[in-house]
Amino acid sequence: MAKHQSSPESASSQDANSQDANHTLEPFFVLHKAQPQATVVEKVSRSGKGRKKGTKSSPKSPEKSKRTTSDEQPSNTLYEQWRFKAFNEIWSLIQSNIEGVLRDINLKLFNEVLQWVEDSFSEIKSNVKLSSSEIQQPYPLVADTLFRKIPTAFVLTKNAEFVDDIQTFCDLGSHLKSNRCHVANMSALDFSLKYGIGGSVRSLLRQLHSEPLDGKIADMFTLAKWYCENNNKPIVVMIDDMECCNADVLGNFIAMLSEWVMKIPIFFIMGVATTIEAPKNMLPSDALQHLDPCKLTLGTPSDRMNSLVESVLVEVCYCFSLGHEVSVFLRNYFLRHDGTITSFISALKLACSKHFSLESVSFLCLCMLDQDSEERWSEKFVYLPESMKRCILNLHSCKREKNLQGDVGSIIQLLSDLKASQRCWSSVVLCLFEVARHSKMQFLDIFCEATDPEVYCMNNSDNSSKEHFKCRDKNSTERSSSGVASLTRVIHTIREMPVAALSNLLDKWNNHTEEMTEINEEIEKLQSLLASVNEGKVYEENLHNIRNRKSLSVLSGKGNSPNEKVAMLLDAMIRKYMKSIECMTLHEIICFRDVDVLRSALIGDPRKTIQLDLLKCHSYLSCSCCSSDAKSLSPSMHDTSIMYKLAQEYGDVINLYEWYQSFKTVLSSASHTPRKRGRPSPASKKAKPSPASETEALIQARFCGAVTELQISGLLHMPTKRRPDFIQRIAFGL
Amino acid sequence: MTTIAEILLEHYKCKAKTSTGKKQQTQLPSGLKSVDDIVTFIVDISDDCNCSVCLLIHNIDGPALRDPDSQQHLSRVLCCSCICLVASIDHVNAPLLWDKKMVYTQFKWFWHHVPTFVPYKVEGLFNPLILFSSGHVQTTKTALVVLQSLTPNAQSVFRVLAEFQLANEKEEGMHVSEVYTKCREQFLVSSQVTLNAHLTEFKDHKLVKIRRHSDGQDCLHIPLPMNALEKLLQELV
Repeated sequence: MAKHQSSPESASSQDANSQDANHTLEPFFVLHKAQPQATVVEKVSRSGKGRKKGTKSSPKSPEKSKRTTSDEQPSNTLYEQWRFKAFNEIWSLIQSNIEGVLRDINLKLFNEVLQWVEDSFSEIKSNVKLSSSEIQQPYPLVADTLFRKIPTAFVLTKNAEFVDDIQTFCDLGSHLKSNRCHVANMSALDFSLKYGIGGSVRSLLRQLHSEPLDGKIADMFTLAKWYCENNNKPIVVMIDDMECCNADVLGNFIAMLSEWVMKIPIFFIMGVATTIEAPKNMLPSDALQHLDPCKLTLGTPSDRMNSLVESVLVEVCYCFSLGHEVSVFLRNYFLRHDGTITSFISALKLACSKHFSLESVSFLCLCMLDQDSEERWSEKFVYLPESMKRCILNLHSCKREKNLQGDVGSIIQLLSDLKASQRCWSSVVLCLFEVARHSKMQFLDIFCEATDPEVYCMNNSDNSSKEHFKCRDKNSTERSSSGVASLTRVIHTIREMPVAALSNLLDKWNNHTEEMTEINEEIEKLQSLLASVNEGKVYEENLHNIRNRKSLSVLSGKGNSPNEKVAMLLDAMIRKYMKSIECMTLHEIICFRDVDVLRSALIGDPRKTIQLDLLKCHSYLSCSCCSSDAKSLSPSMHDTSIMYKLAQEYGDVINLYEWYQSFKTVLSSASHTPRKRGRPSPASKKAKPSPASETEALIQARFCGAVTELQISGLLHMPTKRRPDFIQRIAFGL
Repeated sequence: MTTIAEILLEHYKCKAKTSTGKKQQTQLPSGLKSVDDIVTFIVDISDDCNCSVCLLIHNIDGPALRDPDSQQHLSRVLCCSCICLVASIDHVNAPLLWDKKMVYTQFKWFWHHVPTFVPYKVEGLFNPLILFSSGHVQTTKTALVVLQSLTPNAQSVFRVLAEFQLANEKEEGMHVSEVYTKCREQFLVSSQVTLNAHLTEFKDHKLVKIRRHSDGQDCLHIPLPMNALEKLLQELV
């Protein structure tokens, strides 16, 4: 790493700003050091004003609210603090859901592993009983080949993207540690050729020792000595990605540990990404013979994604939700761009953070977490500043609401409606997911369709709801027709389900729709109908005993099979309750819709961005001296931009001399044309009247500087020995 | 790395002083000899510190930081929740420096587009001038690639020459006869013919140049700066 400055006084920003910065460049210095904690505490205690200010960060606090008059308004900083607090709370809730879901998916596997470790450890302990001194001696060697085998669990991850399983192995390690095991998490870096087997042993000891090694030799004797002090527990060595390890180093490590396995009971858990044959193909035979393998399999990535969608995107949708375009973007990002659940979660967190940083009223989503909504909202909203009330009423969704009263009561009612609507939406989507499990559909596809406001508009004959929402893009018609593909498939699945599965499905629907009385009643009727069918009674006889209902009754139609009736019920639920959040008033509080912001933050795409910056420099510099036409060249433009635009005229190699001549021509046109007076640009400072030789030298210097900058950007390659007069272009097209 | 560790240790000791009332030393433990040890120390101590360190790295994709070890060390340090990083990149292929594990679980990047059009004065300091390359200068990377393709004996012969050059900076080079003597002592070559074969290969790949020594004899010289040569020997395991 670079040389560092240990004394902050010797390195200052003044040096960096000086004219000799190029010659006295310091690779590393401390810009600012925070004050020690004690000093900060003393300062806060002296100024009571500061401390009081620190407590007034929540809209729930009544003391400040009482003092706040209509003229005093909370500063933007305070709103930022509220939004930051809201983000932390909401993301904590989402994060805990994610962790819980991923843990539950793997719990069965974790228990299998634990059982295997405990059984194997018991067997080893029952066969071998050694004293501490015997453990620490490498001799006599264990001669019996059978007992030199190290119990090894190969966990087939079935996932080419190993990053998703890193957390799985961490969780497994925590699970084993909490169940009386010593655990060492090792990675491919610990089995690299550079550090050899010594690095592997050092890494193993570092993780098992609670204290730093501090000069102790990292070898098996140290491990044996440590084990004597910490015995009666198995040592589990987890290697998360076995196939990335160096085969020789790993083989030697296995061989070395096999010599000690009866004295120090070690177990291997190795992650295998490709096939179960991979260890056989990778490890040397003498290492393989020391392993006593067993095979375990992780859940598939699609199962994990389905569980995530269900528990994270749907079950907490009432406090944070995604708009349709954002949902589609995230789905495509997962399916086509990256394919890892880790990236999906990162994108979700980014969307959440962007929502709370960009939407001024987003802090109000904390209200959605309250159980007793309306009463507590009334207490809080009375003290909400007028500016914030105006902000709420100026939201786009409020403006389209024709009969909206501007009072607090209306806002509270709208929030209450929003929460109720989201809960109903969530229940219906969960019911859809239950059906999707039968046909192994992706929940993410259903989620995207469920968030589509056009699907809701299409399903509703109410014209007013259609007016509220305008088509977003030209392909909306096409999108609408294909957008209901998953929902149609779900309905079709119900029609083909056997009666037993249908009954099971209705039981689950009953759980999801507990708060929806109307739906619940219909489900109970269908359950009794199915029970009758199971008992062999003719179902038509029961129809006469069931009252007709106007709203959702699907049982009035004679001759409909139970499957058809269930399908009709689901269709009715979708039409009535699956209202996209973007159709609701005040959805901006909890719904993030800015897909462009998310895309630019998530996918940097420097290859395209840097080239665009050079080709369209005027859009960033906004100088008056340059033309706004992207294709034109003017001498006042940035040198590197001129050079890059000229380079577009060449193929994969650029003749240096011709390039220089073109550049010179562009710059020389400045001396023949009058320059516009306006905002000064960097080029204008350089174009001073000078003798011809100085101008030539200056142009050459500018040319070389621009070529260097293009090289630093990675757009050019150094000339080869074969063609020293030509530079090679590397990046083509956007 | 050491400065980050010292800053965290200072805050940790200050916190301990506040609770115990005793002044603590702020020196790092003496057992921290390698970068790995320092990184492990930082990761361990960060759990107990309630301060945060913001690392600003200008041109993280520059030539000085492009090697995998530097990026790995940085990514390991950034696993600590108390350390955050703001870095600038200028190269179109900068994302290739990191694998998915580094991007999503360690660095956890997200992007801001902030073009400044400020001249690359700092960034250009560490880049070889594209138009002023003599064509005969071997970079460390190119030399390493060539050496790794040679036999272990050839690598050892090169090592003998490099170690002599590092130990005798002011010398113009190592005499061919001295090279032969040292290689024979280490059983790397059995005859002058074998040594000449290795030297020819080195010359063909521009790893070695022949100079005329002041005493009139030919001597061998590796056309690399000292620090590049040291790094090359370290990489050539």
